Amino acid sequence: MAPYDDWNAIDEEEDEELQDYSYLEGKRDVILFCIDCSESMQELREDPNYEDTKTCHLFAALEAAVQIQKKKVIVGPNDSVGIMLFNTTRKTATTRIQSELKKNTFAYQPISPLGAPTIQELIRLLDDAREDPETLRKAFPPLQGKRVPMGDVFTSCNWVLRDGAPKTATKRVFLITDEDNPHSGPGSQQLITSARTTLIDLTQAGVTVEPFFISTPDNPFDVTKFYSSVLLPTNLADDDEDVDPSDPSVLPESISISRIEDLLAQMRFHEVPKRAHYSVPFKLGEGLTIGVKGYGLVTEQKKGSYKYFVDLGDRMEVATSRTVYVDEAREAEVEKTKILYGTSLGETVAVEDDEDEDDSRIEGMIREVPIGKRPFYTAEDIRSFRTMNLEPGIKLLGFKDRSELAFEDNIRHSHFIYPDEMTYSGSKRTFSALIKSLVKKKKIGLVLSLTRRNATPVFCALLPQEEKADEAGWTDPAGFHLIPLPFADDIRAATVTKAVRASDSLKDAARAWIDKLSVKNGAYPPDSYPNPALAYHNAQLEASAFREEFDPDSFEDLTLPKIEMIHKRAGALMKTWKVALAHEEAADIVDIPEKVAGTKRKAEVSVDEAEIRSMYESSSLGKMRVDQLKDFLRSKSQPVSGKKAELLERVATWFDEHA
Amino acid sequence: MPAERAGYTVTMFLIDTSPSMGKLRTVQLPPGPNNEERTSEITRLEWALQFVKLKIQEMIYNGRKTDQCGVIVFGSEDTNNIINEQNGGYENVSDYIPIAQPNAATLSKLDALKATDIYGDPLDAIIVGIHTQAVHLASKKTWTRKIVLITDGESPIELEDWEATVDKMNSLNVSMTIVGVDFDSENFGYVEANKTEMKKTNEAFFHEFISKVDNGIVGTCEEALQETARPDIKQTKSALMGTLLRLGDVDTKADEAFELVVKTSKCTAMSRPKSWKKFAVRETNPRESSQDEDAEIDMEDDKAETAKVAYAQLKMRSEYYVEQGGEADAEDDVKMEDDDEILLDKRKGKDKEVRLPSEEENTPHLEKVEREELIRGFKYGTTYAPCPDGQFPRLNTRKGIDICGFFLAKNFRRELSMGEIQYVWADPNSAKQQAAFSSIVQAMYEKDAIAIARWVTKDGMDCKMGVLTPVVWDEVDCLLWAQMPFADDVRKYTFASLDHLVNKKGEVLTEHPFIPTEEQLDAMDNFVDAMDLMDAGDKDEEGNRTPWFDTLESYNPSVHRTKQAMFHCAVVSDLSANPLPPPHPELLKYFDTPKRVLKRSRDALEECKNVLKVKQVPKKVARTRKDGHALAQDEDDNLLLEGKEPSLHHDMSQIQISEAPSPDNVKAKASVENSETEEEDEEEELLLDKVKKRATSPSAAPRKNQPLPTPARSMSPEIDPGRAPDRIIGSTYPLADFKKNIAQGDVVTKAVEDLAAVIIEIAMRPFSSRRHTELIECMQFLRETALLEDEIDAWNAFLVNLKDKCTSEPGNQEFWSEVKGVGRGLSLISNKEAKQNGGTSKVSESGSINFFS
Repeated sequence: MAPYDDWNAIDEEEDEELQDYSYLEGKRDVILFCIDCSESMQELREDPNYEDTKTCHLFAALEAAVQIQKKKVIVGPNDSVGIMLFNTTRKTATTRIQSELKKNTFAYQPISPLGAPTIQELIRLLDDAREDPETLRKAFPPLQGKRVPMGDVFTSCNWVLRDGAPKTATKRVFLITDEDNPHSGPGSQQLITSARTTLIDLTQAGVTVEPFFISTPDNPFDVTKFYSSVLLPTNLADDDEDVDPSDPSVLPESISISRIEDLLAQMRFHEVPKRAHYSVPFKLGEGLTIGVKGYGLVTEQKKGSYKYFVDLGDRMEVATSRTVYVDEAREAEVEKTKILYGTSLGETVAVEDDEDEDDSRIEGMIREVPIGKRPFYTAEDIRSFRTMNLEPGIKLLGFKDRSELAFEDNIRHSHFIYPDEMTYSGSKRTFSALIKSLVKKKKIGLVLSLTRRNATPVFCALLPQEEKADEAGWTDPAGFHLIPLPFADDIRAATVTKAVRASDSLKDAARAWIDKLSVKNGAYPPDSYPNPALAYHNAQLEASAFREEFDPDSFEDLTLPKIEMIHKRAGALMKTWKVALAHEEAADIVDIPEKVAGTKRKAEVSVDEAEIRSMYESSSLGKMRVDQLKDFLRSKSQPVSGKKAELLERVATWFDEHA
Repeated sequence: MPAERAGYTVTMFLIDTSPSMGKLRTVQLPPGPNNEERTSEITRLEWALQFVKLKIQEMIYNGRKTDQCGVIVFGSEDTNNIINEQNGGYENVSDYIPIAQPNAATLSKLDALKATDIYGDPLDAIIVGIHTQAVHLASKKTWTRKIVLITDGESPIELEDWEATVDKMNSLNVSMTIVGVDFDSENFGYVEANKTEMKKTNEAFFHEFISKVDNGIVGTCEEALQETARPDIKQTKSALMGTLLRLGDVDTKADEAFELVVKTSKCTAMSRPKSWKKFAVRETNPRESSQDEDAEIDMEDDKAETAKVAYAQLKMRSEYYVEQGGEADAEDDVKMEDDDEILLDKRKGKDKEVRLPSEEENTPHLEKVEREELIRGFKYGTTYAPCPDGQFPRLNTRKGIDICGFFLAKNFRRELSMGEIQYVWADPNSAKQQAAFSSIVQAMYEKDAIAIARWVTKDGMDCKMGVLTPVVWDEVDCLLWAQMPFADDVRKYTFASLDHLVNKKGEVLTEHPFIPTEEQLDAMDNFVDAMDLMDAGDKDEEGNRTPWFDTLESYNPSVHRTKQAMFHCAVVSDLSANPLPPPHPELLKYFDTPKRVLKRSRDALEECKNVLKVKQVPKKVARTRKDGHALAQDEDDNLLLEGKEPSLHHDMSQIQISEAPSPDNVKAKASVENSETEEEDEEEELLLDKVKKRATSPSAAPRKNQPLPTPARSMSPEIDPGRAPDRIIGSTYPLADFKKNIAQGDVVTKAVEDLAAVIIEIAMRPFSSRRHTELIECMQFLRETALLEDEIDAWNAFLVNLKDKCTSEPGNQEFWSEVKGVGRGLSLISNKEAKQNGGTSKVSESGSINFFS
């Protein structure tokens, strides 16, 4: 059995489930920030965050871009980002590899994989701009009196992306502007047409445009003036929109219109490209199948894993690893296609008599069978044991009451499914009708789901979610949460079956402070708890890349309980509760109803904590017996392994910490 | 029965090797790739030994030193047992494998057993078994004693003093199992035909024998084999881990804060299938190594049977490579990234030619590097961030569960729960701690509140956020912990609203194909009610129906199937001759909706199909995904696809999406001789079926009868069967559709009606002449069915209708004359004919004859 200390190491366990989606990370993401530099974008206003500073929309947009870049560089080190500005007179220096852009558009950062120098350069520019608000105006002089045709902007975007973005990547343009009617003057119709055509070109090059429109109280952004006739529904970020263009179409939902303060928050929503984990048929019954796509809305975000680098003198290069399977006795590498699967042959077996008549003989790591016979499975066989020969899909088994979905019936994170009209037309109305019906009847669905070709079929609860907007402007989408249920094999029985119960008066005393510490209408707020360990790691990673010193004191852990508030609200009540506990009769029982049968209890073992403390203070702990030390440590949930000296040290440490 | 101690058991297997055990027996094998029945002939002994080997494999699998077994054979040529040595007698009983912990060699030794020409007496063997076991366990009185007798009951038994043997067994507390080859079993529902008198007598005796044994059972081998595959749950007792439940600042405001000693243990923990070991053929000599697998099989004929092939277990090894010689300009980085992907592919084994770095033609110049030369670090984009320890210093954290606040349970969002659940218990050693803990749990329970908490498992470990929910049981209170996501873990993707549709003019739409109509909503409501599982389970003690599906009885199919497969391959020497038997029914019991519910919901489902009119969108291009993942299609693809919305025009839904079979498909049909093509074709049809048609009779086709679709090797374009939405017969394969429906048996009227309509439809289409032969075939089958299934009027009405249609303009005179050419066999069904088949017809015999003239 593993030593006790190892049991504590549960944090180290790798969640294999997370690895499943690593193939998705293989696809790279490219974002081109396309930012308007017009007069109004550069007009100085009160900074929303800092007093006495004046900044402009352009500043805010660039700052948001930096924040996104900082996030991207860690989450997707292989992703590329670029920044293009328009409505500026600054010219792009034409180089050998770069195409000349349309007039009054400027590629500030061509598309390239992110690195510390690129980000630092932008940060320096913004720092300067905060000191001297005129910096940006000097760097990117706004175009006076007219605007660049949007058609030219889209064309430039296309060229910039063509030059820098890898072919296979997801390509997106984040368009940031505050002008809702760029072409109001004469000839506007022609400009609108050209904007639309160039946008279609862009779309056909596999690029999606995600607009972030800045709206101000004085100047509310009206999409109908220009953009609704230019942005075709086909250029949606949402990959499963498929409205007939001739239809009185639906407006693309990826348009964000926000105040400048919310720009970053809006971009954060869009930062990770929306990728479906799977697209499978959802069979409601014989002959009634709809298409759905599954998304991972809650997935543990882990620290990146370290890589191995080789020092090549002038640069550091990542070493790629390769796993090979070898027959050790022959030192021969075996091709993957020739590998077969079987069970462990167990310990080396001494073969007593070599009569050679046996059908199959097992010696060490070898199993011999007559030629032509095969006692092992192929990779295909192995997969069929896992999938039970099912094809990927979700199959409805029936419906149950919402209350049947217990808190403890959980084993891993849920998925979110959303209808896909592209595979089955009519999916959306069917899906929508099902959600409404289940919400109304307070029911959940029970399904058997196999979402990938080599996964295990799992029973899942189908929890309906209706569309709901919250105050922050975020809308919970309509759809189903697919919650994997544990199998009988995964469920562990209660370990403790009997314990002392509290009296009603003690319970009431506890209730008093629980009431004080309850958030009315509150719920668990994921947004309030950024992962401190991850942030701490990333901050150090950034410092290391920027060659800066990391200052651990500047780090704030937002997950720590708000101690002061707790004491202010409930401190006195907890004191009362503790007094009640001291007088609790049930707690005075000396003999505790516990103990596993067969464990022999030694007489008079337990030594009072106070007694041990006094021994500790008088440095006479050494008088205690090993079993007494162990009992004490065990009661404090400390490890009880090791020799007496180690135990003594551990007891002493405990008292040091709990002085 | 008191709980058995795991291990501390000696099991004696007594195996009959009498001549009758050498008889061949036909065993059912799992259906082949085309769902054809397969059988194989093996001896009774081989068959029965599978049971013994599976039992022994289980011991090997569990690997307990105190789980031992011995094998005694009776009917052996020699005699070798301890009683014979001392006292003589007990001939032809041989101690074949001495009692010990079994290993793989035990199994291979069993394989060497063959039936002999000599009869052995099972009672002798039992006595030897008891004695051998007793001698072995002389000083281990507490061990469990088990004896398993395997026989076909065809040998004579000397019935003398057998009661004394039973007494001995009972006094030693031996449990006895008799596994009979083809014994009759009431439980299992098996009766052997043409049973010999000898076997009848012996079976009766064994039953009597067992009835006298305190702890005995007799069963038939087939059932025993199936039972070995029954999923059994390995009960894992979760270890208790100590930690602290804290609220407030215990260091500086100790009197206003608390810290309770608590223990945690797992409530759910994911179990995974055991991993497989990898093997490959060890190439022994140059001659063999130059030959591929096919050649080896060919050799079987030429070479003597003694030739062996050795499979060696493989070891995993990691190697590291670095790209060398690339130009160090700005583009290099991008290029390197691309190469990364190639390498990824390579690891998947797709890219064979770039496997070995030593190969000259490799494009990237990969150079192997030793692990020792490597430095650990992170990538910050293209920048290298050194980190020799593999991780940066961790955030300083303090062990314990800190409560952050409370909220009401009704606001809990179940879908945020991230993973495994943990119990939190009060310290089992302190009454005071238990009372304190209990008061908190009960107060929370009373308020229906949930706590938000931050858990650190060990000083310095990364913290987790989660919630604690109170549970109050009969004798103990506890909390359940569920991990909740951090802000970083939540992906906020935007999705198009399903209800709130706005057009370009900014108007809110209330009618749109995406928005379900009242009628559609009602149909769905009825369907949801009909498919309710709350009363679909078994009855409880009071006779009330319980809900169907219980997590406590849902076994992880892959864990148990993998285990079964592992056991199987350990005990057989050739998987193609002796493939894995099907999974235990218990494993699949929740895979399909209960029949009652399906039956009850049939009409509601029909209604849903009719009003919702969901249609599969034909795929434009079949994309073969190399990585084998059912990935979502790429955005780019969708942009290129024209997402037409047929439901925009509800009336148009009668239009078929595709009318004629695609050329691919015609080809497949044409080459039915080619078995592989046929197989795929059939598979395709069945797949389509599953999706489109069988809806009308969900319960009529039990799962077993239809082959599970084998994983498609490539994604061939799916064929539209051309079924109009309310029809069960399509225009693409009318006859095949019809036959399938008739085979299911309960929608005959509808099928007849639809096929009739489809035939007319096809005949009226332009250029239908190439399908005339097919149509005649359809008609012949249709007529036959109409006659047998009492759909005579339907046929007669159809034929009249067809005649009218064909002979009027535009019509299809050509087809009608072809029909006439077939003659009487296709004419109206006369009263005479009808009577012969138990039906009636208004048409006279002469009327039928004259109809075609």
